[in-house]
Amino acid sequence: MSFMRLIDLPRTSSFRLALLFLALFGISSAVLFGFLYLRTQQFLLLHVDTWLIREAPEPQVRVPEIVRRFDAHLVANPDRDHVFALYDGRGQHLAGDPLPMPTRIPVYDQPFDFRVPVENGRTRFRGIAHRLQGGELVLVAQNMYETREFDEAFVNAALWCGVLTMTLGLAGALIVGAGTVRRFDAVALAIQRIVSGDLSRRLPSHGTSGDLDRLAHVVNGMLDDIERLMQDVKGVCDGIAHDLRTPLTRMLAGLERARRRASSTDEYATAIDDAIVEMRSVLKTFSALLRIAEVEDGARHAGFSIVDLETVARDVTEFYEPLADEKDIVLSFACAGAPPFAMNGDSSLLFEAIGNLVDNAIKFTPPRGRIAVDVTHRPDGLGVSVTDTGIGIGAGEREAVLRRFHRSEKSRHTPGNGLGLSLVAAVARLHGMSLTIEDAVPGCRVALLRPLSSPREDQQFRGKDIMAGEILRASKAS
Amino acid sequence: MTRVLVIEDDAQTAAEIAAALGDHGYQVECAGTGREGLLKAATESFEAVVLDRMLPDGLDGLGVLTTLRATGNEVPVLVLSALSGVDERVRGLKAGGDDYLIKPFEFLELTARLDVLVRRRAGPQREVVLRVGTLEMDLLTRTVRRSGQPIDLLPREYRLLEYLMRHAGQVVTRTMMFEEVWHYHYDEPTNVIDVHVGKLRRKIELPGTAPLIHTVRGSGYVLHAPD
Repeated sequence: MSFMRLIDLPRTSSFRLALLFLALFGISSAVLFGFLYLRTQQFLLLHVDTWLIREAPEPQVRVPEIVRRFDAHLVANPDRDHVFALYDGRGQHLAGDPLPMPTRIPVYDQPFDFRVPVENGRTRFRGIAHRLQGGELVLVAQNMYETREFDEAFVNAALWCGVLTMTLGLAGALIVGAGTVRRFDAVALAIQRIVSGDLSRRLPSHGTSGDLDRLAHVVNGMLDDIERLMQDVKGVCDGIAHDLRTPLTRMLAGLERARRRASSTDEYATAIDDAIVEMRSVLKTFSALLRIAEVEDGARHAGFSIVDLETVARDVTEFYEPLADEKDIVLSFACAGAPPFAMNGDSSLLFEAIGNLVDNAIKFTPPRGRIAVDVTHRPDGLGVSVTDTGIGIGAGEREAVLRRFHRSEKSRHTPGNGLGLSLVAAVARLHGMSLTIEDAVPGCRVALLRPLSSPREDQQFRGKDIMAGEILRASKAS
Repeated sequence: MTRVLVIEDDAQTAAEIAAALGDHGYQVECAGTGREGLLKAATESFEAVVLDRMLPDGLDGLGVLTTLRATGNEVPVLVLSALSGVDERVRGLKAGGDDYLIKPFEFLELTARLDVLVRRRAGPQREVVLRVGTLEMDLLTRTVRRSGQPIDLLPREYRLLEYLMRHAGQVVTRTMMFEEVWHYHYDEPTNVIDVHVGKLRRKIELPGTAPLIHTVRGSGYVLHAPD
């Protein structure tokens, strides 16, 4: 970590949070210690006061008796911590402990604090004074040195605890803050790399389920999607480059040849006709691409209405029947399950999608084959499938065929632009249908299924690209 | 002579459209802005209007169309647009357009659709029997005869033939047939239509007689009696 980063540390949220908690802890500790201190003080004073009141001689006791008691006590307890002293009216010591009389007595018969100079330095006392009828003063007092000692020890302990807590807390905040800064730095670095073009980079994660890790996980999932989409776009660009350049090159060559060699109107006309044919094929590819983009964009919802899937599939079958007939292929239609077969959708798009599937099936099924169009309404959903006895689609190729411009080796020499299944996938996604490609031995079965648990009819399916695997889900209920 | 108003801001496109429609036999008037077009459409009499969807200076194609309809002008309008979205198409038709054609288009498609619009305006036909040469279609009994010989047609073949016979002498394109006979719409229908027409052709054309269904420049058909 660099110096600059250390300066940044106080700005990190975790460091600030740690400081905040430290402050809260400090304040509550101070309040707690203060409370304990005050209560202990009160208790000790109460203890002292109780002793003072108990030991103070009763009013009816005579001076000689007091002198006897105090002197006896002085002999028995020479510690000077507990003081019993008698003074005459002028403040001269008469009996008991030889403690100088306090210079100022604020109140009689009530405990009070006072200081007198003594040789051992323990100058603080708490005592109770009583003025006898003869003017003599009785003083019972206790040295407060031990109480003060306890106080100081208590306050010291509290201070040290505070200092220790603050130090530990600050260190903890620094460590936590530094850790967070380090992790954020790693994430920021990864994001910078991604922004600068390294799309394969992912945010670092520690494999725990911490909050930052969860965020990293979600972002990484998003990056996976973006990377796949980018590859898809790149594939499309490559496809456009190839599929549009080829006819354009042919057209240019044909026109230039006509310019060079043609000598008659007929030859020019032929060249122009050829150019028109090429131009049409370019336009066809172009508009097919735009249509896919439009469908994928979810912009076709304006054409949505309640559509009877059975009618559409039957119309498709009927429409393609003559084409199948010409290849001696039996094209059949069946409908299974309970009506209604209605769904919210765009009938023309559904017709086109199912039509593309049937068209493909006819293209890749050898003569005397069979193609079945089935509409099913089962508990798992409403769907339509096209099953053929053609060459089939290899398991490894099932994801690829849905990509724009993909032409398998087997289909390289049949007419088409490699956009048919992409459009089917886009239409399926727009309608919240899953697209499944399966083996039908021989041939394959392509099924569109709209799960009954599908979210709102007009749900838009954006951004989720088709996932690889045995089952290709063209849509994901989100 | 049939007069058509072309409202198109791009001068070259307008010139091409005018040339194509002129070749087709229409008398063409051009307007370069929405205001000019609206003025001409309101003050002069036209059989049809070809209207560009996107026009400069505030008044675009849809604006012209809605204003025109608001004033009670029922002239058939064919909307041209570079916007291919189905939403755009729906909007164009809802605003009062009679047909919608996406750029770039083939002029065959434009003239064929314009012919249908102009002809439709002449009033609905209430014939019971359609006749083209020796081909006869009884709309009540839904039977077809050629020179008196009954011809057995599948329902879809009957619908296709009916459409061709109703527009006898007019060029109809694949897209138009797909829309009118199958009632689905998309801009690039496959050439499966050709297979349908081929089958129909084989059924209604007798050996030794002149053909009735003619192919026009690869993407259209016309049914007319032999001269």
